Amino acid sequence: MSTVTTPQSAPNPLPQPAESPFRRWLGGFANATDLGMLPVIVALILIWIVFEAMNTNFITPRNMSNLAGQIVVTGTLAIAEIFVILLGMIDLSIGWNSVVAASVFSMLTVFLGIPVWAALLCGIAAATIIGYLQGLLVSRVGVPSFIVTLGGAMIGEGITLAMLTPHGGSVPLSDNFTTAIGTLNLAPMWGWILSILLFGAYAAVALRQIAHRRAGGGENGFAATMRLIGIGVLLFGTVAMLNAYRGVPFLLVIFLAALFIAAFVTKSTQFGRHLYAVGGNAEAARRSGINVRGIQLAAFVIAGFLVGIAGYLNAARLGVASSAVGNGDLMLNAVAAAVIGGTSLFGGRGSVYGALFGALVIESVSNGMNLLGAASSIRFVVEGGILLAAITIDTILRMRRMRTGRA
Amino acid sequence: MSAATEAPLLSVRGLHKRYGAITALREVNFTVRRGEVTALLGDNGAGKSTTIKAISGAAPADSGEIRLEGAEVHIRHPSDANALGIQTVYQDLALCDNLGICANLYLGRELYAAPTPFGPRVLRDLEMESEARRVLKTLRINLPALDTPVAALSGGQRQAVAIARAVLWGSKLVIMDEPTAALGVAQTAEVLRLVRDLAGQGFGVILITHNMQNVFEVADAIVVLRLGATVFDKRRSECTPEEVVGAITGTQAIPGTAAGVMA
Repeated sequence: MSTVTTPQSAPNPLPQPAESPFRRWLGGFANATDLGMLPVIVALILIWIVFEAMNTNFITPRNMSNLAGQIVVTGTLAIAEIFVILLGMIDLSIGWNSVVAASVFSMLTVFLGIPVWAALLCGIAAATIIGYLQGLLVSRVGVPSFIVTLGGAMIGEGITLAMLTPHGGSVPLSDNFTTAIGTLNLAPMWGWILSILLFGAYAAVALRQIAHRRAGGGENGFAATMRLIGIGVLLFGTVAMLNAYRGVPFLLVIFLAALFIAAFVTKSTQFGRHLYAVGGNAEAARRSGINVRGIQLAAFVIAGFLVGIAGYLNAARLGVASSAVGNGDLMLNAVAAAVIGGTSLFGGRGSVYGALFGALVIESVSNGMNLLGAASSIRFVVEGGILLAAITIDTILRMRRMRTGRA
Repeated sequence: MSAATEAPLLSVRGLHKRYGAITALREVNFTVRRGEVTALLGDNGAGKSTTIKAISGAAPADSGEIRLEGAEVHIRHPSDANALGIQTVYQDLALCDNLGICANLYLGRELYAAPTPFGPRVLRDLEMESEARRVLKTLRINLPALDTPVAALSGGQRQAVAIARAVLWGSKLVIMDEPTAALGVAQTAEVLRLVRDLAGQGFGVILITHNMQNVFEVADAIVVLRLGATVFDKRRSECTPEEVVGAITGTQAIPGTAAGVMA
């Protein structure tokens, strides 16, 4: 600080109006331009109520364990997609790119006898390199990400077909490690220990922040406290539910680990701050000395890395590396999960936790429809409707921001 | 003005700038003292923006001399100006609306702790908030919770954030481009109060505005540019609004120019 000669005796901040913390928190939504995770959680609860009412097998330990496995691939791909969407860009290659990773893994481990860990690294590296090359075209040359990744997806499809078609389009994976990842669960006791440790660490950080803000700024921390309680209920409820069947699936543990690391990177590191800044206002970020191109490139590389992991998890879950999965709705589901989870396609707004809730919405609909024996035609219509609702809310909020001069 | 015992904070002499065939600046001279607000006035095209760009490094002048605290400085790039302690608050503010107040104040120079030399660079949010709160308090700026997104702030509050950002970055000279242009009456008063406070704390302030009333409320010195040259440079106490308007519109005869255009 330079010459602050006479710090005028500042009048104390005006006393807060006597209003209950809850009402103040609620009042914030009336003019909100960023609803956070609220709409998707409400939607999820409604979906669960509807499916449970139509078929009481929906909320059972067994079906919830199925659902827990089903969200993993969509969720991990959605985390990858969110890194790119936060920049206001899009990655359409994540589906095929993930299949490339699985194919490389299967080629190396099944036909070349390379150790599983090395093959896994190579598979993830392949996806990361594809992400890097796409990122270079987007950030250095300035080609729109939409087109770059559309081309990337087609190239990824070609690479996959070149590898898998000679082997009939699919390669079964039978090594012990992959089988374990794909099918085993944590022993119930370990599920509890891990979740208690996790929640303890989270609560310690959150409570410190609440106390600090309350001490310094007259903020009541109501929303933060509610969030902490909500996360505790959610976490322990999930563990109890899954332990009532076979325990927490390894797949889910890996997905949640990726989710928490991604949340840490985006919310608590300088890189994450700059990622949001570039997505929010690239010109302001540039004037602040942020390396905008570097951030863009890094986001594509991180997305590629996560896509590689997702590709492996998908192959482990199915027990096979198959070119058929790339034709399915992998990419569309992941983009839908990201957007339903509250990540704005206009960039700069959203949270990686949206990947969890968005994937839960998408996969709950799919799971519930299957339980009801509904045709997949209906499932597509319902999922599409939810996606349109999510993007409409996003656009309306953006228009509201523009109207008030805050875009 | 008599010879000062101490060198002025900023002194600009004979700035000259051409854009192709157009001479944007012919002869700009003025000084800014510590703890004072210097209003820079002029009609559209008089050279205010070009002068500011020369001082902030956005578009350096072709010739002329800029002295900071008596020493000649060469500002070729915005980062040069920042390093010298010159901060510009642009009209569009350059804030990230999706980020919180504190995040914007520290954008690009966040405080972080790195557990290893290779990272991760973990943000020290609590320290940043404490320091930001202290600076906001010295400036008597009242803002909502520091993690409130800037999108939720009013125009005046956004202006306050942009100004506080300049102060937080350790500047000596703050240049403000039309800070009250888009504000209502109460918000304008608040920003003007802030401008006065900045000067009261020893910063030098250059204020660009079209609003004559604002000028006479907060400025210590008034400099008028016309057709790329300084045509008027007086203490506020020594002049009247009519004189200043006359200088801006050119109804007063100015040596060396074709005078007499009524605006």
